[in-house]
Amino acid sequence: MNSKTPTILHVDMDSFYASIEIRDDPSLAGRPVCVGGPSDQRGVIAAASYKAREYGVRSAMPTAEARRLCPDLVLLPPDFDRYTAVSREIMTIFRQYTPLVEPLSLDEAFLDVAGSERLFGDASAIGRQIKREILRRTGLVASVGVAPSKFLAKLASDLSKPDGFKEIQAHEVRELLDPLSVSKIYGVGPRTALRLEALGVRTIGDLARRDKAEVAREFGATGVWIHDLAHGIDTRRVIPRREEKSHGMERTFPTDVSDREELRLSLLSFCEEVAFGLRDKGLRGRTVTLKARYGDFTTVTRTKTLDHATNLGPRIYSVARELFEKLPPGPLRLLGVQLSGLSDVRVPVQESLFGDGGPGTNAPGGSSYDARLKLERATESVDKLRRKFGDRAVVPASLLGRENLAGRDGTDGRVELDGGE
Amino acid sequence: MKAICNREKLRDALAVVNNVVPAKSTKPILENICLVAMDNALEIVGTDLECAVRYRIEDVQVDEPGPVVVPARVTLDFVRDLSGETVTLSTSEQNCFISSGEDTCELVTMDPEEFPVISRFGSEDTIPMQGGTFRRLVDRTAFAAAREAGRYAMHGVLTEIDNGMLKMVATDGRRLALAEAPIDARHAPAKPAIVPTKCMNLFCRVIADPLDQVQLHFAENQVGLKTKNAEIFGRLIDGEFPRYQAVIPKESKNLVEVDTQTLIQKLRLVANVTGVEARAVRLRIKKGEIELFGQSVGRGEARARLDADFKGDTAEIAFNPDYVLDGLKNCEELQVRLEFNEKTSPGKFRLGENYIYIVMPITIDA
Repeated sequence: MNSKTPTILHVDMDSFYASIEIRDDPSLAGRPVCVGGPSDQRGVIAAASYKAREYGVRSAMPTAEARRLCPDLVLLPPDFDRYTAVSREIMTIFRQYTPLVEPLSLDEAFLDVAGSERLFGDASAIGRQIKREILRRTGLVASVGVAPSKFLAKLASDLSKPDGFKEIQAHEVRELLDPLSVSKIYGVGPRTALRLEALGVRTIGDLARRDKAEVAREFGATGVWIHDLAHGIDTRRVIPRREEKSHGMERTFPTDVSDREELRLSLLSFCEEVAFGLRDKGLRGRTVTLKARYGDFTTVTRTKTLDHATNLGPRIYSVARELFEKLPPGPLRLLGVQLSGLSDVRVPVQESLFGDGGPGTNAPGGSSYDARLKLERATESVDKLRRKFGDRAVVPASLLGRENLAGRDGTDGRVELDGGE
Repeated sequence: MKAICNREKLRDALAVVNNVVPAKSTKPILENICLVAMDNALEIVGTDLECAVRYRIEDVQVDEPGPVVVPARVTLDFVRDLSGETVTLSTSEQNCFISSGEDTCELVTMDPEEFPVISRFGSEDTIPMQGGTFRRLVDRTAFAAAREAGRYAMHGVLTEIDNGMLKMVATDGRRLALAEAPIDARHAPAKPAIVPTKCMNLFCRVIADPLDQVQLHFAENQVGLKTKNAEIFGRLIDGEFPRYQAVIPKESKNLVEVDTQTLIQKLRLVANVTGVEARAVRLRIKKGEIELFGQSVGRGEARARLDADFKGDTAEIAFNPDYVLDGLKNCEELQVRLEFNEKTSPGKFRLGENYIYIVMPITIDA
């Protein structure tokens, strides 16, 4: 048994979707509210309020069955836009206390607050602050578990639900775990539980008393895992989730390049590639970052944010080029371009009246969007050809005849960059 | 300084002046207001250096004329919560006393010499007009001005006088409102000036009665407005307003007319299902009708239709319903007219006599 101090928090919103619906429509308070799909389309319940749970309604239950159990059920269609917005608010609260936030879903996350204690008090104090702040900022109730590991933290929040707060100290783990059913262990499903029962193992205490090797023989790797958990041993760390935040490409040249025209052409080809990569992923980016490394390894970056996200090569190049021309002179060892502020192309785009440039740059009659539309249509056709005949099937004329040159490490020195935060 | 004045008048005046006083400033004196007692009147002055207000209360019993500088917010709060009919203001070396009946407070003061000097309204080159005319043009346009984002020049209302017309234009780069009204034409034209939106709203606040005459004055870098009680000066925005004439469609392929209220109602209806991040309502215009369509990934979709006067074949365009509704709310006609060429080109709404509203569409990838 380790003597670690609790620093892991598990925060779980109580009946999240249903609670948001009730918060936003007070007439629903005290009624059995569920969010889910309609019963005539084989819908299932996504979330049930505590009132609905009194009737035996559970999440993932077919809506038709829920209706049988509770004829007065108020069934609402899910509104994920709204839930996502609230979720973001909650995640923002978490990140005020620690950068180590691992969201499990919209309404649940692990936090590691080791290192935040000096600022905000110990894990338990932070847990209580977070719970209070969630209530104050969103009007919603969370259950919080505080423990030395992920497994115990989640167990703590589960055991105290709803509106719960529970801390598990290292010295009380044994006493707490022993009487619980083995099915409380993450990884023990109904089938494993049955097999354990056949071996005379019903509680976590029963499992912990067994020899580890014996459990491992019976259940393989899972055996080792559940035996460890039965002892409260869980070494999994809290891993902040990475989303794709940027897409780019850079190249280390075989020898430092001082020919500006050569660099411009490289830049153009990177922009084309990056744009193609974005289109391939159904993304657009708003912020263009140019990176240049000089012969002496000093590195500079220059950034510009557009009014509108784009995934069109010429558009990206015109910005990258503008940034490039402002670079300090000198031979370059590396050049790269990156797009961040990514968004889905399916998000509708609000057109603008005056274009991206400064005053007076908009063409009379507002032909900037007509030009863009033409470019988009052309790009669509080019992409089809590229997908069919390969990346180099269609390139801007200025890039014709540019063969890949071997880089310092024998490759062409190009690196595609997909970045998280 | 010692003066006795009506509490409600003082409260109202403080409320107006407080609009320009910054809550937090690097120059602490700006968080204060200057009160000056003089021949039967009390003047209250506040400024954030962008905009300045001088508000005058008449019929004040002045026992001892003079200025005092007191914290703006506290003074307003205290006077507002007093209950007597009159308020007595008086000063000692260091403090200012505000009392009414049995209640009194003692405020810290600052040196009036330190308070910024605010110019006074001259009598030359002022342009007289009816307060209501001015306010209506602001109401018709200022809502379209940029707020947080966008170029600085768009954070105001372009105001110009030409050919006996007062014209105002505001845009945030996605929509644009343009309104004009005839004024007394004897005065020389004023060159275009960008008046900060905050200042415009303040101008409107002090126009108590739409029938009152107000005086407008444009100087090199500031604009002033004088009403019966107030003088307001605003620093003009120094920037180039977008060349808006270029984006107003001259001729349009598609021209449709619909009942304004019905369009408002149906747009709101369909907008309900559109998400926060993707607010778009598609208008499919056919002979004699418009079909509205809105959807969002998490919510579902909605459709509505309404009768329309449209001669063409079919046409389609999508807008952010909030932008369109912002304009339609001000529509002065029973029938609103929408003109546009392509689904990617600007939509032009005619909202009244000398009043147009341009909205850029939303394009949706398949």
